[in-house]
Amino acid sequence: MQIYLPIAEVSINLFLLLGLGTGIGFLSGMFGVGGGFLMTPLLIFIGVPPAVAVPTVANQVVASSASGALAHWRRKTIDLKMGLLLLVGGAIGSIAGVQLFGILRSLGQIDLIISLCYVGFLGIIGGLMFVESAGAIFRKRRAPGTSPAHHHRKRGWIDTLPFKTRFPASGLYISVIPPVLIGLFVGALSAIMGVGGGFVMVPAMIYLLRMPTNVVVGTSLFQILFVTALTTFLQAAQNQTVDIVLALSLIVGGVVGAQLGARAGRRVSGENLRAILALMVVSVCVKLGWDLVSTPSELFAIMPTGAGT
Amino acid sequence: MSLLALILATLMQATPTEGETARDVEPEIMAALTQETVEIRSDFSGANFILYGAARGVEPGDDIVVVVRGPARDLRVMRKERVFGIWINRAPVRFEDVPGYYAVASTRPLSEVGSFSALRRAGIGLEHLRLSAPDTERQETRFGVEVTVSDIGGEVVDYRAAIGRVRKLEGLFTETSEGVEILDGGLFRANIALPPRTPVGDYTADVYLFRDGRPVASRSASLDVRKAGLERLIYNFAYENSILYGLTAVALALLFGWGAAAIFNRR
Repeated sequence: MQIYLPIAEVSINLFLLLGLGTGIGFLSGMFGVGGGFLMTPLLIFIGVPPAVAVPTVANQVVASSASGALAHWRRKTIDLKMGLLLLVGGAIGSIAGVQLFGILRSLGQIDLIISLCYVGFLGIIGGLMFVESAGAIFRKRRAPGTSPAHHHRKRGWIDTLPFKTRFPASGLYISVIPPVLIGLFVGALSAIMGVGGGFVMVPAMIYLLRMPTNVVVGTSLFQILFVTALTTFLQAAQNQTVDIVLALSLIVGGVVGAQLGARAGRRVSGENLRAILALMVVSVCVKLGWDLVSTPSELFAIMPTGAGT
Repeated sequence: MSLLALILATLMQATPTEGETARDVEPEIMAALTQETVEIRSDFSGANFILYGAARGVEPGDDIVVVVRGPARDLRVMRKERVFGIWINRAPVRFEDVPGYYAVASTRPLSEVGSFSALRRAGIGLEHLRLSAPDTERQETRFGVEVTVSDIGGEVVDYRAAIGRVRKLEGLFTETSEGVEILDGGLFRANIALPPRTPVGDYTADVYLFRDGRPVASRSASLDVRKAGLERLIYNFAYENSILYGLTAVALALLFGWGAAAIFNRR
């Protein structure tokens, strides 16, 4: 059954959209990422103009992160103070990112920049995560019972920064600067790449801020919820590029998938979970990278003037 | 179908009376579409409609050509080039007033129907469709004749070909020889297919009667492709009340997200 999307101005099979929403919602609930890093390229692949796909996925991520964040709120696995600091940075990043998106669109290079951002970020983060989690699984198998010695962990440059404050939920005493900067970066990514930014934020919270894994997913979802809500609003108000029909089709599948994913995620160990996520991130990266370097079937790109779609 | 009845009635009047030969009758053409508006709703996946027409004073060997043009828009065409192993869009060329939809149907292949210059002048056929890139063109006088010269030389041919190729793939540009069917008594019909990606706007259907390689009569009909129903409401809402639309998009997402969480947790 084809459905016409009024803002994207294309017709797409409704069941394909619902299926995409459910599948990616499942991953979203399982891994605590928005799923946008998979959804955006897939939508572009099935024919949605990038300029519409990116903001509309941000809208869909609002819904999937809302149900995920609520589940974590009930289980009290959100570090609220950390979440608010990430949010402050996220709001600034999102506003700047929406402006940058508009400029890149008018230059006709938005597709290239989106692809390059994906390949760069997904490659680095996926690779790091995979090496780390594979190492963790390996260590666990070799020496069961010996956990990493947290007390002897080497402290880095983050501990030398000023404005230190206590984060009771995470059991940390660190500067407020890193969370704000991480939030800012993730907010900009949300606007330019149509992602929640969980794939950057979760590793940053684990490896940079050294937050305990149990609050990482909930806190990340909390920040993603508000930043994507702001991005959606700004893109709709400024560029009129949010397609409500497309967003709702993805959301209906997505909220169901997210709930199922959250349940499934509790039965899988942390290291395995991260290894699976890392593999997925790397495969999306390889696919996008291949598309950038392989000879395209059409050597000309046709776009309306003034927009990079 | 009252349109068809009207055409038939007109045709009856137009039939040459006794004593007159077809040669004496000034060639004339009439055309009507089965639909004058195409509404794009949520289930829109393309549309098909029929152009009916009647021709008076048709002689054996005459041909009928139907050209449907969609709303014109400026396009930017960029050539992909490999830079450090990566394919990048470069060398943009702006094309002015390119029709968003362009379909030609004829009774015979176009090259047999009309002369090169007649087709070129009327812009009939994909190879004769006017695609001008004003930024790369200059008017020059050579041997006393004013001609259009392209700054990018032969390359503009590749750009033009690319527009035709891409649009053809999307079903937006078509050329069907033998797409016009001659019925009895000077009546003819042509099937026109609009693909799912059909742009919204005003369309014109031009019908030509070709004789000895030149058009001897023509007639146009107009068609309006527009969004309707909920799609129209949403589109207008997004563009006219952008702020409220943005808030609604966020509110709906929150409602669905929290609603689902509430339902799942109760179980």
